[in-house]
Amino acid sequence: MNTMTFEEILNRLRATRAWRSIFRRGPARTNRTRSLAIFGNVFLHLLPVKVREQSLRVRATYYLGTISFFMFVVLTLTGILLMFYYHPAVPQAYLDMKDLRFVVSNGVFLRNLHRVAAHVMVIAVFWHMFHVFYRGGYRPPHEFNWAVGVMLLLLTLLLSYTGYLLPWDQLAFWAITVGTNILSAAPFFGSQLRYLLLGGNLVGENALLRFYVLHCVILPLVAALLIGVHFWRIRKDGGLTLREDYERDKK
Amino acid sequence: MTDVLATAIAGRPEESERGEIGRRDFFNAIAAGAFGIAGLGSLVVTYRYLLPNALFEPSMNFRAGTPDLYPLDSVTYMPDQQVYIVRTGDGFYAVSAICTHLGCNTQWKPEAGLIACPCHGSKFKSDGTKVEGPAPRSLPHFSITLTPDGELLVDKLETIKPGQALRV
Amino acid sequence: MSETKNSFEAGVGSNALKTPERVVFITSKTSAQVKERADRQLMSYPQLILREVIAFEVLTIVLVIVALAWDAPLEQLANPLLTPNPAKAPWYFLGLQELLHYFPPLVAGIVIPTLVVVALVVIPYFNVNIKGEPLWAAYRSRRFLIFIVSVGLLLVFLGLYRAWTVLVPTVAIAGLTIVSFFQLKRPYRLISFLQTRPLSWWVMTWFIAVSLTLTVVGTFFRGPGWSWVWPWR
Repeated sequence: MNTMTFEEILNRLRATRAWRSIFRRGPARTNRTRSLAIFGNVFLHLLPVKVREQSLRVRATYYLGTISFFMFVVLTLTGILLMFYYHPAVPQAYLDMKDLRFVVSNGVFLRNLHRVAAHVMVIAVFWHMFHVFYRGGYRPPHEFNWAVGVMLLLLTLLLSYTGYLLPWDQLAFWAITVGTNILSAAPFFGSQLRYLLLGGNLVGENALLRFYVLHCVILPLVAALLIGVHFWRIRKDGGLTLREDYERDKK
Repeated sequence: MTDVLATAIAGRPEESERGEIGRRDFFNAIAAGAFGIAGLGSLVVTYRYLLPNALFEPSMNFRAGTPDLYPLDSVTYMPDQQVYIVRTGDGFYAVSAICTHLGCNTQWKPEAGLIACPCHGSKFKSDGTKVEGPAPRSLPHFSITLTPDGELLVDKLETIKPGQALRV
Repeated sequence: MSETKNSFEAGVGSNALKTPERVVFITSKTSAQVKERADRQLMSYPQLILREVIAFEVLTIVLVIVALAWDAPLEQLANPLLTPNPAKAPWYFLGLQELLHYFPPLVAGIVIPTLVVVALVVIPYFNVNIKGEPLWAAYRSRRFLIFIVSVGLLLVFLGLYRAWTVLVPTVAIAGLTIVSFFQLKRPYRLISFLQTRPLSWWVMTWFIAVSLTLTVVGTFFRGPGWSWVWPWR
């Protein structure tokens, strides 16, 4: 058997019927097939086929939106893995944390990764918002996408906050007690809302389960949906706003 | 496409121009109403579902032992119940130990004669009156009674006005 | 409409990677609105995708290194009967917690955050100063008066509540705004930069300065009973 180069293997794979049924184009060697690579793919079609060269520079965005999205991906992957060893029950949740550290192989690494990515995501999302604001990225026609971005910021904070309770240690319990008591200061419906969120008057078993469901199912689903809308609207609104555009429009 | 949709929602223009309710308008209104009612109904049902009826939380009243356990002019913290039992010359009263600000557990500082909250620095007198800090209200007093067999009984569900003390 | 026979002819290029030249026909009743964009356009595939993959790889490496070096905190089992002193929220809420130290919960916990979120959402829907005209470009004396009065009222309000950690960054940013009002003969580069900034820039900068100060103070400078501590002691 003679040795094949990587490219030859790839080309042979590309010629197979199965491959051609998935990617209905040849190798991306012309502008046409490169366009097809974007809008022939259900995930990539949110992106524009062409981007301005300037908007790819690091200084244009610092890749802050990209970083936020990647953190979301990392958090989803590590979060799903953590769910295999986690029971949202008192005090089993805390014992699971101990197990992750001392019993489960690489458990502590996964938990650390999840925690670090969460911090980075919060920082990146905030920084992203400030950066977009300073280069005038909120101005029409981007106003709706800016509003979606604000929603995503809130979702990020909520995701992080609901996740904060799950280890069921002292840090978690008191942060959530203080935080949900702020809610009961709201007029008219405040204490009702707190009762609904906690499923009781105290931060207890019901609250843990509710935060778990919010953290693992409801909030990530909504966030994923809005992230899709957010990306798609960048294309629909004519690409990123660059600092140069803003300064030029001022004149 | 949008025109078709607009006609479907608003009815044909000539009908509404004549000020009559056409068949299409009528069914549109019925459909919208049905959707609205069904949506609202499911919201209410879901909301009601999410409010738990039975709670497995600690009991809200407790026995605090016989009165002679508490010396005169003392503040005793009941850590399991988040209540201070205060005995003065007037008698007994029970003060909540949960800060009215954001629900942290306060601590009795005998050297200062004050109840202090560790979270945001609120301070209260031993009768619960707010001295300083961000707490919006003074600490509430709970109803305290004597059981037939001579023990103090505190009911945390019933708050009473300050100034009433149980004489034994 | 004057029907002049156009002299353009569609050509067929042989280079499949070349960005095609665009020709715009403008009929007599429309006006040209396309803004000049001289910069080149690149194909998203592979130019953008490749950069994102590289960014992802770099980020993953950084994350893994941090996750190996640093352990996520885990304290004692939750105990409803024992409040740690001080009980702190996650770091991104410590600015809010610092506000709660000064103002009643309704103001600090509900009104201010709601106002911030509503303000952020509605900013672009009011096309105020879409051109980013500098704050002191027109109506100088009237704007200066309004500015001084409103900042003065804000400072009095903050002073009454003794909210020093809000007051200090507010004074700093207001000071910079006032400095940028005066037209110096030879301004420093920073000041000439500040002189071109619109009101929205100033408000956002003030917001960032205040939230950053509150978060840093709440994280590092608050100890038992939310009293002031120096982190290096």
